[in-house]
Amino acid sequence: MNQTQMTFIQGAVVEEEVRLTLLELCQACSAEAGHVETWVFEGVLSPSGDSPQNWSFSGDSLRRARLALRLSRDLEINPPGVALALDLLDQIAALQARLQRTGNE
Amino acid sequence: MKFKDYYQTLGVERNATQDDIKHAYRKLARKYHPDVSKDPDAEARFKELGEAYAVLKDPEKRVAYDQMGSEWKAGQDFQPPPGWDAGFEFSRYDAAPGDAAEFSDFFETLFGRQGQHAQAHRTMHAQGQDHHARVMIDLHDAYRGAQRSISLRMPALDAQGRVTTHERTLDVSIPKGVRAGQHLRLAGQGGPGRGEGPAGDLYLEIAFNPHPDFRAEGRDVYLDLPLAPWEAALGATISTPTPEGPVQLTIPPGSVAGRQLRLKGRGIPGSPPGDLYVVLKIALPPADSESAREAYRTLAKAFDFNPRTHLKG
Repeated sequence: MNQTQMTFIQGAVVEEEVRLTLLELCQACSAEAGHVETWVFEGVLSPSGDSPQNWSFSGDSLRRARLALRLSRDLEINPPGVALALDLLDQIAALQARLQRTGNE
Repeated sequence: MKFKDYYQTLGVERNATQDDIKHAYRKLARKYHPDVSKDPDAEARFKELGEAYAVLKDPEKRVAYDQMGSEWKAGQDFQPPPGWDAGFEFSRYDAAPGDAAEFSDFFETLFGRQGQHAQAHRTMHAQGQDHHARVMIDLHDAYRGAQRSISLRMPALDAQGRVTTHERTLDVSIPKGVRAGQHLRLAGQGGPGRGEGPAGDLYLEIAFNPHPDFRAEGRDVYLDLPLAPWEAALGATISTPTPEGPVQLTIPPGSVAGRQLRLKGRGIPGSPPGDLYVVLKIALPPADSESAREAYRTLAKAFDFNPRTHLKG
């Protein structure tokens, strides 16, 4: 049977298949390199590589960097505060997952 | 157009100081920030706050807004009096909270559209802007992979350099095994490049439509399975739905509520695949007929059962 074939765009799952350079991460979340460097210094992001030129960020860094950017911009939180907020949000997410597992939503 | 009472939005008096306004905004912004709040209205509330703050934190805009007088009530039909803004010149380059913040018609009538600068400040990059959007898919799409047409509202610049939104439809392959919260990168589908520059990328954040039976947690999936008391006590083989179709599930005798049965590898596919957890619930048959009540009385006589022995009182 002949059918008109639609072309579907294939995407890459960022969290599994993608690593980002500093430039790519900045481009992907519209952040300035200076902000990203500060978040790395504060431990919000943990790239591999010994210098900013060689940094390689895991795909999950995209979500974290966007979250950090929104928190610092919308709530005027400084970088150590952003780092603390992200740690606490991670803890809340882990606790909520535990609650959900036991069916106590 | 409805009047918006920005003082009411921030919960401050009309004579509040700039510091009062800042404090009120910060407190409410922390409470309703969509990344932090679980309130279902958080996003809408946060947008309102951002708009109110954009006006009241700026002394010029605040004075102009106050010119309208204090007689207006929130929600009242409103048209600005002619010439109300004579003598004011507003900067259109305020940083607006939120991605490409869209303020209300009320705001835009008074102060003009915001956000033009969001595109302008990236001129140093020849590559187009990367765009982000959120797409809702079904849990079943993650199990099987799917091809979906999704429509997106994208900001774009028109010939005059103004920000407009236009709708476009993309046909996208949803890869098997994708999980909620993950991002799909579609190369070259973001904003157009400048000059010879390549187009930006489009990032799609995946979220699942709520399913009445299954809930996903990372790669694992959970199902609540109600059992009759005798099925839990005596054991049973129960036809149980899974996202891949029903399976015959053996309930061991002596099962209690809350017990989880793990169906290994039947969560979201991947390497490793997730697991499906069946959480047992015990449902009591209603005592709504004489024969049912008699059955409960027989049960009571048959057992010397006190479920409260562990309570210390």
